Amino acid sequence: MAITAGIDIGNATTETALARVEGRNVTFLATGISATTGIKGTLQNIAGLRSSLGMALERAGYKRDDFSAVDIIRLNRAAPVIGDVAMETVTETIVTESTMIGHNPATPGGIGVGLGVSVAFEDLSSAREGDSVIPVIAAKHDYEAAAAGISSAMARGVNITAAICQSDDGVLIVNRLPKVIPVVDEVGAIDRVPLGMRCCVEVAPPGRVVSLLSNPYDIASLFELSPEETRQIVPVARALVGNRSAVVIRTPLGEVRERRIPAGELYILGPQGKRTVNVEDGAEAIQNTVIACYPVENIFGQPGTNVGGMMERVRRTMSDMTDIPIGDIYIQDLLAVDTLVPQKVTGGVAGEFSLESGVALAVMVKTEELPMQRLAVAVSRELGVKVEVGGIEADMAIRGALTTPGTKPPVAILDLGAGSSDASFMKTDGAVTLTHLAGAGNLVNTIIASELGIEDMDLAEAIKRYPLCKAESAYHIRQEDGTVRFFDEPLDPGVYGRVSLLHENDMLQPLMLPNISVEKVRSTRRKAKQEVFVKNAVRALEQVAPGSNIRLVDYVILVGGSAKDFEIAAMITDALSRYGIVAGRGNIRSTEGPRNAVATGLVLSSVEGRK
Amino acid sequence: MQINPELLEKIVTEVLAEIEASGAAPASAAAVTAAPEAVAGVSLQEKGPASRGTDPKEVVLAISPAFATTFKTTIVGIPLSAVLRQVFAGTEEEGLHVRVIRVYHTSDVAFMAHQAARLSGSGIGIGILSRGTSIIHQRNLAPLSNLELFPQSPVIDLPTFRAIGKNAAKYAKGESPTPVPTNNDPMARPRYQGLAALLHNKEASFQDPSKAPVELAVSFE
Repeated sequence: MAITAGIDIGNATTETALARVEGRNVTFLATGISATTGIKGTLQNIAGLRSSLGMALERAGYKRDDFSAVDIIRLNRAAPVIGDVAMETVTETIVTESTMIGHNPATPGGIGVGLGVSVAFEDLSSAREGDSVIPVIAAKHDYEAAAAGISSAMARGVNITAAICQSDDGVLIVNRLPKVIPVVDEVGAIDRVPLGMRCCVEVAPPGRVVSLLSNPYDIASLFELSPEETRQIVPVARALVGNRSAVVIRTPLGEVRERRIPAGELYILGPQGKRTVNVEDGAEAIQNTVIACYPVENIFGQPGTNVGGMMERVRRTMSDMTDIPIGDIYIQDLLAVDTLVPQKVTGGVAGEFSLESGVALAVMVKTEELPMQRLAVAVSRELGVKVEVGGIEADMAIRGALTTPGTKPPVAILDLGAGSSDASFMKTDGAVTLTHLAGAGNLVNTIIASELGIEDMDLAEAIKRYPLCKAESAYHIRQEDGTVRFFDEPLDPGVYGRVSLLHENDMLQPLMLPNISVEKVRSTRRKAKQEVFVKNAVRALEQVAPGSNIRLVDYVILVGGSAKDFEIAAMITDALSRYGIVAGRGNIRSTEGPRNAVATGLVLSSVEGRK
Repeated sequence: MQINPELLEKIVTEVLAEIEASGAAPASAAAVTAAPEAVAGVSLQEKGPASRGTDPKEVVLAISPAFATTFKTTIVGIPLSAVLRQVFAGTEEEGLHVRVIRVYHTSDVAFMAHQAARLSGSGIGIGILSRGTSIIHQRNLAPLSNLELFPQSPVIDLPTFRAIGKNAAKYAKGESPTPVPTNNDPMARPRYQGLAALLHNKEASFQDPSKAPVELAVSFE
């Protein structure tokens, strides 16, 4: 009779399965879980391991620090994987000579389209009768004064067609005029608006977007442009799509262009030699190159570029950790995902933002040796317990996963973690093929953070993990699926009217982000998960499936921390059902859900080893 | 700096004397009729008891018993007519309008705003004390809870009052505005606390616990 502890040190969590082994009988006593301390495979892991094992011991009725009760600890021979994620912005919008004001003030004034010559508000009195002018009003003019000035000019017969103003006064000015004109307000750098130029202002009705200024032919009609000039105006029109209000000013040299930022090249080494792909070509091109080079032997970035820096950082981290020379570290997988990054428009006068394209990258390093043996010796010395290093992680995971009721080989498992997505396939005879792919929970966090403009990664993690809702009154919330829930106690006033995250225990966490809606956050979150997990699920299964044919896999069990997520498992189940695959979240030993697969497998494999 | 009780007492006595000297005349009953001239830029006419509104486009603003009558400026000298004008402008820019009530039964800004919120068709109320302390409140919340509180009267300037009106209107529309950014001045407390206490005492002296809130017609000049 021996107490065996299977301990799985993962990228994010350290999980323990504690069992009594008598001959071939295994009785599971308890499980423990705690956050991994330090990078997986380093001596810093011991603290996390202690607390995870201590938790299991306590649950099994021992003392928390009674490590002598354990006869043997089995550690996973952790697949030596580290990942890193990075964002690259690959486009940039540049406005020269302030030809366009494409920002979206929350409350522009009036409705309609006005065409005229821009003129400073101070010079309005010198405008002649019959002139079509558009006053440009600086913040120093009070809304009453501005409205009075415009009214008196109108009374003189000056044709004032629209206005551009600096402070948030659009509605206030229009409410005080005898006639409704479109007014674009909150134009921060009003002194940079060119004066004496032909100019067009459009404000759409609430809930609509500008239709004239987002159409190149309408701009051509308004400004009497030649076909060549119309071609040049296309980026302006494109930049204004989706805005409720816009201004276009015709200047002799002004233009709007989209610049592609040289993000660097990736060099991917495969059996057939080296292939080169430019990061600015986007995720699809990168991924196709990765597939063409399969199995990837190594990946380098162009020196002196951001991508080059990222690749070297990963190598250095891994090298510091394992004492393997930097030249012997091989990056063996890469996942690229297209994203949109809100960036301030260069040269814009109203603090305009434009959604630029970006590429998020996750890479993964494999080395043949990870200092697990060193860790095992250290643990043994520290706790005074015999330590064994067990089988390969994916192998163990599959053994653990098979304790899910309703499964038998041949079966594939997808272990969705924080740093990597692992897949393995077990044939009927017990032979296992496996793969480790870059890109998992952390990449989803990176994408969510960049698309929503968040800097706090804990907030991105929370957005990934919890569904959304909006507090519509002090007593009820509307959840993201449209259902309403009532509360007996009034909600915290801090969440009123805000998009919030619905944590466990009905705790609401308001998202303090400007201009967001439930729909936008939800679609960003779901898209990120779809792009990373569903794409990786298919990619991983292609690599482990017999004959690289996914259709030959019948059962897929999802395990790992990310499988616990409230929607990822359902997304993968849905995507794989198209291949006729039964996929679902594992339920280890009918009790653990998708967690604890590797730890369980470690305990079970100790028995098999002895037969 | 050491604050000894004698010095404090001396300051308080001096300030009190000063206030009595300058405030004695307007504090009399004649002040109410004299008010329109005294507070240039706005006239406030009582229209009768304040009733509960049904218009979802309104935000109710509660002002304190002596707002814009005895008191003409906030604690830092901003004319109260300008304060009202900015709150009105902020709300109007969002497409809503303000209904003003004068509360007599309390000069606690939270209870004033809560009263306003309960009378408001949108359920959103604002409370502003004569010295400038402000709050945005909502019906259904506990009186001492709130949506946004601006407790440091000396640091509230006109753009902040505009933003308070704007945010109150946004709450009324069910939007989720970013809370109004406010300045923080660590010296505001030592510099103004004594004065604020005196102003509060003066304001509280106009309270009439038996008088219900009164609706005001506001016109700017």
